[in-house]
Parts: sequence; structure tokens; C-alpha cells
Amino acid sequence: MKITVKSFATIREAFGGRGVLWIELPEGSSIRDLINALEKNYRPKIDLSRVGEENSNIKVLVNGREITYLDGLETKLRDGDVVAFIPPVAGG
Amino acid sequence: METSSRSSRPLQEVELTREELERYDRQLRILGFGGRAQSRLKKSTVLIVGAGGLGSAASIYLAAGGVGRLRIVDHGEVELSNLNRQILYTTKDVGKPKVEVASRKLLELNPEIKIDPIREEVTEETLPNMLKGTDVVLDCLDNFKTRFLLNRACVDGSKPLVHGAVYGLEGRLMTIIPGESPCLRCLMPRDPEEHEVIPVLGPLPGIVGALEALEAIKLLTGLGRPSAGRLLIIDGEDLSFYSVEVRSNPRCSVCGKRRG
Repeated sequence: MKITVKSFATIREAFGGRGVLWIELPEGSSIRDLINALEKNYRPKIDLSRVGEENSNIKVLVNGREITYLDGLETKLRDGDVVAFIPPVAGG
Repeated sequence: METSSRSSRPLQEVELTREELERYDRQLRILGFGGRAQSRLKKSTVLIVGAGGLGSAASIYLAAGGVGRLRIVDHGEVELSNLNRQILYTTKDVGKPKVEVASRKLLELNPEIKIDPIREEVTEETLPNMLKGTDVVLDCLDNFKTRFLLNRACVDGSKPLVHGAVYGLEGRLMTIIPGESPCLRCLMPRDPEEHEVIPVLGPLPGIVGALEALEAIKLLTGLGRPSAGRLLIIDGEDLSFYSVEVRSNPRCSVCGKRRG
């Protein structure tokens, strides 16, 4: 299945400025699997290992809904899902 | 007599001058706004913390819209590298204290209002005085550390706070109503990494600052529904807007106790 990944701010920069990525994952994959695949395939210049933990500052949305209110890192993905990684920003 | 004039001449009761009625004519015509909302704005004080890109846009709209008193805090001077986004300032203002220039420009825009320029650093010690007598507070800062100080002071002092922030082509906005909605600490449980210099494209603080002004006007007048418990995320790259639910953290170190 194909997942669209949108990254924001510092995470976007860690992916070389690419705000949108597409990634193929096996059926039944979760957010945790997606993060592992992203780290393996794209080697972002940022540590994604704690993303999705309860006290993380980085919001992970699946089709606009935060995973904290779904199944967290175990949230199952479906073909066509859009997953967003959104860190806080401080500019003014 | 006042009472009898209410229905026939609704604008008479709100103590707006003839000039003010003309100045604010287009917003007075908004259904549900009118003289009552305008009068509330006139009686209100808004604290704008930071007179940079966000503070420029927010203060211009609040001054133009007739908020009676704007208290503007910034200890810095105008720098050339500010001018891509800090629309209160022009090239000849470089080197001058921001709050002084801001005060003069805003009074030129609207001499009906009052401006309190405060050229001080925002610290735990200075914040209580800055907050005194204010109705709404705007976070127009450029770092996390001071934002968390402001968040705590606003939660402790029960002051509605409008949080805005930008990065590159992105923006964030959330309104915090102490005791009712999640605070900045609920949103960011950990201290994020600070960046000395943050990339910003000018229109983004313009958009977010204008939205902060809109939230302030809504809070002051009771118009509409503020973005409390909802984080607005703006991506200017593909012009997408996400409004994401944020819930209060019952164990939040800042607002958790207040909620009980």
C-alpha cells in the first residue's frame, strides 16, 4: 500500500526540504512501521525514534487526526492514508 | 431618555464619537458586531508581547479596529534583517527602539486609541506588571522559553492568551482560555530545541499575526468561536490549513492543577 507522508518545519528540512514523500508499506503496517521505514529509506537528519510517544512535542496526524486519539504508534494504516509529522515552531 | 433612545438610535448608547462611527463603519455593519462590540473594543486593553513580524501585523489590525489600549512589549531595536516581515518598520527606522517606532506608527494610523510602549525584557519578574489590567494577551514572541513564561503567567493570572508562531512557510495558532482549554504546555510537554535564527517568509507572520488580532477581537467582543483546544497549522507551501484537536493534559505542569 502507498502512504503519503507530509513533513513540516525542521522535520521537512531533515528530509532535505521535501514536504511530501510517498512510501510503499506492506498491508497491515502501523505508524511505528512507517517511522522505521522512513528512517531506513530516507535517513532523515533527525531522530524520529521518540515520535509518537505520549509526551512527544511532534504531532503525528493520520488523515488530519492525531494518533494520540487513535491507537498511537500502533495505529494501522490503509492504502492512500496521509500521515503528517508536525513539530512545534517558535518564529515570530 | 437613554433607554428610550436605544431602539431608535442604537449607536447613541455606546459613546462612540461621530468620527469613530465613520472610522469603524465597515465593521459596525457586520451582523452581530455593531456599536456594542465596538464599544467593548474601545474599553479593552490588549497586551502584545513581541513587536516583530507577528506583533507588527497583530498590532496594526488591533489599532485599526479600535482596541482602546494596546500595550506593546519589546526590548529590541529595528534591524535591517527584520524588514522582510516586520511591516511596522521602514528602512529609516533601523537602529531605533521597536516599541517607540511602533507606538508612533500606530497612533498615526489611529489617534483615537492609547499605546503603552514597554521597552523591557520579558521575565518572570516583569510579566506580572505587564499583564496587569489587560483583557487579552497575544504571544508574538520568537522563542519557546519566553513563550512558556508567558503561558504560565497567563494561566496563573487567568488571562486569555493567543499563541502564534511561524517557521519558513508555516504558521501555528492556538487560543488558550485558562481553566477551560489546553495551554502551551499541554501542546508541548517538553522544552523544544531553540534556534538562534529562524527562517521566515514575510507573509506568514502577516497571516498568523492577523489571525491573532482576529482571535483577540472575538474574545473581546464575544463574537464567533475562538480556536481554543484547536491548533491551526498553516502550510504555505501547498496552502493547506489543518485545525487539529488538542486536549488538556490532566498532568500538565502548568494548568493541570487548576483544572483539579
